[in-house]
Amino acid sequence: MKISYKYFLWLLSFSLWSGSVYAALQVETTTQDLAAIAKAVGGEHIHVHSLTPGTRDPHFAVAKPSMIRKVYGADLLLLVGADMEIGWLPSLLQSARNSRVQPGNPGYLDLSEAVPLLGKIQGPVSRDMGDVHAKGNPHYWLDPRNGVRMAKTIAIRLGQLDPEHATEYQKNVELFEKTLKTKLQGWKKTLQHLKEKPVIAYHRSFVYLAEAFGFRIVDEVEPKPGMTPSAASLAKLIARIKNEQIDLLIMEPYYERRSARYLNEKTGLQIAVIPQSVGAQTGINTYIDLFDNIVKNLKAKGAN
Amino acid sequence: MFQLRYPHLSMTLVSGLLTLYSITTNAAEAKESVQEPLELRQQIERLQQDYQSQIDALKKRLDEGHPSSVAKTNNSQQSSSLRIGLSGLFAAGGSSVDNATLANLQAGGHDPKQNGFTLQNVELSIAGTVDNYLDAQANLIFLMNPKGETVMELEEAFFITRNLPGGLQIKGGQYYTEFGRQNKQHPHTWGFVDQPVILSRFFGGDGLRSQGARVSWLMPTDTYSELTFGMQNAKGETVTSFLNAEGEEIGGYTLTDRRARNSADLLYSARWLSGIDLSDNLSMNVGVSGLWGPNASGSTTNTEVVGADLYFKWQPAYSQKGYPFVAWHTEFLQRRYEAGDVAREILKDQGYFTQVLWGFKPGWIAGLRWEDANADGDTSNDPVRDSRQRLSPNLTWYTSEYSKVRLQYNRDWAEHLPNKTADSVWLQVEFSLGSHMAHTF
Repeated sequence: MKISYKYFLWLLSFSLWSGSVYAALQVETTTQDLAAIAKAVGGEHIHVHSLTPGTRDPHFAVAKPSMIRKVYGADLLLLVGADMEIGWLPSLLQSARNSRVQPGNPGYLDLSEAVPLLGKIQGPVSRDMGDVHAKGNPHYWLDPRNGVRMAKTIAIRLGQLDPEHATEYQKNVELFEKTLKTKLQGWKKTLQHLKEKPVIAYHRSFVYLAEAFGFRIVDEVEPKPGMTPSAASLAKLIARIKNEQIDLLIMEPYYERRSARYLNEKTGLQIAVIPQSVGAQTGINTYIDLFDNIVKNLKAKGAN
Repeated sequence: MFQLRYPHLSMTLVSGLLTLYSITTNAAEAKESVQEPLELRQQIERLQQDYQSQIDALKKRLDEGHPSSVAKTNNSQQSSSLRIGLSGLFAAGGSSVDNATLANLQAGGHDPKQNGFTLQNVELSIAGTVDNYLDAQANLIFLMNPKGETVMELEEAFFITRNLPGGLQIKGGQYYTEFGRQNKQHPHTWGFVDQPVILSRFFGGDGLRSQGARVSWLMPTDTYSELTFGMQNAKGETVTSFLNAEGEEIGGYTLTDRRARNSADLLYSARWLSGIDLSDNLSMNVGVSGLWGPNASGSTTNTEVVGADLYFKWQPAYSQKGYPFVAWHTEFLQRRYEAGDVAREILKDQGYFTQVLWGFKPGWIAGLRWEDANADGDTSNDPVRDSRQRLSPNLTWYTSEYSKVRLQYNRDWAEHLPNKTADSVWLQVEFSLGSHMAHTF
């Protein structure tokens, strides 16, 4: 009995100062994209961990107990925002009992507030419209220019939490911006052939990518965001593809391929399965890798 | 539990709450039920919001080089928001046995328990952040009992601390006791249309809940490990295995109006829950729980309930909308009940349920549950202590994140039944309005 009491006290005191034992800032992110950008900015001065893997749709994650433990120990929480994590982050934050990363505190950073969001809905929003995000489309990391905005915001926040290395974060973000801008010119050149081209997406998740590279997303395989396509909705889409001579469909790796294959059989439409996130496929470890990979996948597509 | 026996009164209350709901959210779903002046006001509010968002967008453009200033203004808006949701759960179906017998088989308060239609549960949930220190939540339940009366329950109303140091958290008020995995879950998140037999037996139709407080400690271990200790009132019909309500019976003993005299007459609960990721795709929860408290079969008699729960969830690396997945959930429970001051008979009951849910394609879940419950001694004529097994296959279709349709077949084996078996089929529909419900792990 006496031993267990001592053990209990030891654990309790350990837990009280455990927040301060780590020299490096503990950064938790809701997606691997945010983790990759944070790592580029924070370098060796931060420990970054993503709560969800890039292979899964972050909207449908669940608050696993292991995630509670991670958020409990975090100094900074980075999230996509715009309701992307609405299904699991509020309950996770309540269970994690960490005031540093509660909304409104410096350890909570919603990056949707750092970028101009597309697809904001003016006027009434009904669930009849499907899985729409009234605050705006949350897939904004797919525009490299937003990547720069996010990195800058993260650098400022890291500098506030860790003033000692603030100049280093600034330096890193400048380098990140420079690299990304040079890269972007190359990517744009490679995807020249897609300029003004009508493209179909599976889900409403590539509007930012289209904005960045100048192609037009004219329709989606999902009849409404989040709704599984039906035979009737596919028939309508086939008519449109033939009518408007659309020849490219882009989609994430985690969606069902049957509808895409069906559209391909009926119309000859080309399919580009492109990674939507860092970590979506093996070998995509940085934010730059992500676009290198997207561009590689789109390079040979849609050219006729 | 607090019951309203006047249907018109509770309806006024419902409509009042619904009006409140439509004012506090700017959700457009509520527009039909609102009167004209409100609608006008809403339109004005909407216009104001539109302009505000346009102004914000312009500001944002100006601020693009200095994004942190934008972040500050928006954060405060978010934390003040209230989450309000209304979910409705309806069932229809029939059984090979009559309604009176069915009421014993389907002992859960929200179980479909009559041939025909059942309004299982309409739940109004309001949650939000009180201030820097507290979060709070209230769940009001409306249901129609077999007599056709509207019953309202204050299911839960509790606060929960936000930022105690050292991984501690205190919850107080009226709330579901943290025992096992399922007791705390609300009917609309269950994988089956009805409550497991053993939970109905030990914790009554409405689950184990009462007024009290608990403290939980998130241990500073590498993996998730949480300890919870609680104290709650042991009196009331939602504390079935303990003081319960006067006049109820268990094992032939009639319960008296025993009340708490001192702190020893309260219900004490303890739980340890651990969560481990076995791999990127497989997670596990293990829990052990215990309950200690007085029972009203005598003046000094006590009850003890212990339980163990195990949960595995598998999800492959590539999954669309959280599918496919396999979730396996098992709970064992055992009760030791001292009955009668003079007799001091020890009534021993035990049981378990084990269920598998397989989400085989987006929106579609196939489920299978097996249950067993029994007691020591001859209890063959007692519908709440006899030897009882149930097999329940089901199929659920989530039409979206906000509604579902479920078909379930129950095969019952129960000693107290004249035919020893019963067959039932239930169709269940759920809808939910308002705030996005939390995804359950």
